[in-house]
Amino acid sequence: MRAAHIAALMVALGLIGSQSHAQATADPGYSADGLYNLANSYARAGKPGMAVLNYERAALLAPNDADIQANLNYVRAAAHQAPQAESRLSRVVLLVNPTVVAWSGVIGIIIAGASLLAGVVSARFRALRFAGIFVGLTAMGFTACNALVQWPKLREAVVIVNETPLRVSPVPMGDPLQQLTEAATVSITAEHDEFVLVRTGSGRSGWVARADVADVVPRQPLR
Amino acid sequence: MKALLAIALLLATCSMAMADAPMAYEDIQPSKIVMGESAILRITSMDSELPNFKMPEVAGLTFEVLGHSRAMEFVGGTASETSSLIIRVTPQIAGIFSIPGLTPKSQPVILEVDKDRNSGALPLTLNGQAPRPPPPPEPKTGNAAGIHFVADGSAFVQLKMPKGAVYVGESVPVDIVVGVRPGVVTSLNGLPTIKGGDFTLNNLSRQPERQEEVLDGKGFLTMTWHSVLAAVKPGDFSLTVETPLTVKISSRSSEDAAFANLLGGPFLQNFYNGIAPKEITIESLPTPFHVLSLPTAGRPADFSGAVGAFKISSDVSTLKAAAGDPVTLRMHVTGAGNFDRVDSAMLDHLDTWKTYPPKSSFNATDSVGYKGEKIFEQPLIASQAGEQTIPALSFSYFDPETRRYERAQTAPIKIDIAASLADSSLHAPAAAADTHAGAAGGASAHPLTAGLKADHAPAQRTADSLIPLYLQPRFLIIPAALALLVAGGLIGLRRRPSHASPRAAERALAQLDAAARTGDASIFLDTARTLLLQDLAQRWQMPAEHITTEELDSRLGADAGEINGLFALADEAKYAGHAGNPPDFARWLQIVRRQLGAGVTS
Repeated sequence: MRAAHIAALMVALGLIGSQSHAQATADPGYSADGLYNLANSYARAGKPGMAVLNYERAALLAPNDADIQANLNYVRAAAHQAPQAESRLSRVVLLVNPTVVAWSGVIGIIIAGASLLAGVVSARFRALRFAGIFVGLTAMGFTACNALVQWPKLREAVVIVNETPLRVSPVPMGDPLQQLTEAATVSITAEHDEFVLVRTGSGRSGWVARADVADVVPRQPLR
Repeated sequence: MKALLAIALLLATCSMAMADAPMAYEDIQPSKIVMGESAILRITSMDSELPNFKMPEVAGLTFEVLGHSRAMEFVGGTASETSSLIIRVTPQIAGIFSIPGLTPKSQPVILEVDKDRNSGALPLTLNGQAPRPPPPPEPKTGNAAGIHFVADGSAFVQLKMPKGAVYVGESVPVDIVVGVRPGVVTSLNGLPTIKGGDFTLNNLSRQPERQEEVLDGKGFLTMTWHSVLAAVKPGDFSLTVETPLTVKISSRSSEDAAFANLLGGPFLQNFYNGIAPKEITIESLPTPFHVLSLPTAGRPADFSGAVGAFKISSDVSTLKAAAGDPVTLRMHVTGAGNFDRVDSAMLDHLDTWKTYPPKSSFNATDSVGYKGEKIFEQPLIASQAGEQTIPALSFSYFDPETRRYERAQTAPIKIDIAASLADSSLHAPAAAADTHAGAAGGASAHPLTAGLKADHAPAQRTADSLIPLYLQPRFLIIPAALALLVAGGLIGLRRRPSHASPRAAERALAQLDAAARTGDASIFLDTARTLLLQDLAQRWQMPAEHITTEELDSRLGADAGEINGLFALADEAKYAGHAGNPPDFARWLQIVRRQLGAGVTS
């Protein structure tokens, strides 16, 4: 009886969560297709930096969209940027939309949790309970892998101004180490005033003006 | 006599070895030739020996030593020698060549080589004859008035100042002239310095300008250093310049001179001439100098000590920028004065700009840094889009000509600041739309357009954040709550593996009484078995269905017999329809109560 109450509570919690999330996402905001079309516009305007930025953003929402990946690789190549190497794991886990992956993780928790509770309450249907635990843990593991792959993207940025100086110190008159070309992807590791410390694909670190790079994942949610 | 001669020679050799490197200079004649001709490079040392040097290596020129020459001069009865090395310089190609100084104290010389006569300014050849090289320049005849000769008239040092009164901190360009008689003065042992600590001599030129002059009928090599003089405190002073050098002086007594005269000619006299080098420091005549204090009345708050005549202007690196882009504001200060005191904080604070500390650089237009341009560069970053105005910059200084403080000001600068490109990333660029439309209409599009996949139809599904859902805090509440719920459930259920609470036991015993009253052995025994199993499961912390006959035997020992018997009767009543009588029910009820009581006791 108590186990039935807990299971009912879990289901209700999941429903409430999905409802509130659906309510939140009903607001106007980013869409993979909108970002993709925007990126195409920038590419046509000869702004590879902004194009790559918006392709990257579109790829976050629709990682398995072939058009996004094709145009992203094409613009990167046109801007003389080396293609980003993808591991086999990332190729597999990015086949599914991150939102679906997130909910599958929740369902995995529900299934595994219910199976565990059922095992405590009753010794019957042992094989079914083990299967439930396995399925739940698999779903949660897939979500965790997806998060691990996507996590670095949260700190990535795209150079949107050509010949952006990479400086040794976070001041405009700091000695430049090298010039970053537009559309290059860098990782942000620190911030200071109007400057950010970035690491380039070749492993070199330096400060660039905040206005010369744009975060792949904007800090503030769109409203 | 021989011993005396040998000692004199030994002393002369030792003293020459101990002296500093002799002064040497070089010149080339002519300094301009045409292909096929040669020039003569002459290295002259004011001593009897030439310093060690390495033959120069200049691409396009060949050098050939023609010979040595030695000259002897008698000054005031004292003989002095100069040595020269003559080198022929022949060009292989036309051009302007710089032949580096062959000795540490000599400057490079320039040789200009033309392809032919017409290409240069050389005079035309008449009747096919090669032109004679131009004669060496005549020594300049100078005015010896005001010059204080020292060391038997063989040297002098002179300070030339443009004015006799300055303000504290004001820079005054000065010339220091040192004149030496070749052959008498063998070396300069240091740079000229100002005597006393009330003045500073800044930016003394590293190499002096050399010139041959005739003063009071004697040939002098004059060396002129340029510098900037500054006074550190007000008052009346007299300035003196001093220079260390080595001269050859005669140390003969009258007897020795008489003996030398007995030797006959100058060559023999030279072996016994009694000349010895001596290090001395020569001084100039004192120059009266008046230093005034800067007036305190009307001194601007931003006055940094700059004294002179200055002009300022300003500009920016770009007149159009985006918000967040660095813009460099430059202030140019040009003129003449003490540029080391020219300073400016530029703009400390601006409402719509982020300001950074300025840095400065100085480009001198003369050799001593008295005239030039100082540039202040200040990075600014606009924080708002729109037309922004950078206010006027000002600079205060004291003008010694007008004898008052002046304030120079620039004009404000307007800059068009566009919105940051990163902020406008969700709005398609106008240029992009135009280009797209142009491409649709057949106009030429950007080369990137060719390989792009087509646009997608706009979708309704949107997200308010690009952060994956599983990394958003408000979503993470759901799995976290679920996990807590599961964990809580597991903990709660594990604490109660059996549901046999005292109240439930009371209810079960009441059911047993009711079954006994009705005489239904099947219900009675089944209820009794369930009640006992739940009690045992709770006691042994294990599921009730896991309690077997063997488990009972091993855990209860002798007491297991009556429970096993009760369970066997329950099965018999359930499957074979065994019916009990009232005494049986009372006994069975007693067994159950005893077992439950044992459980409570244990």
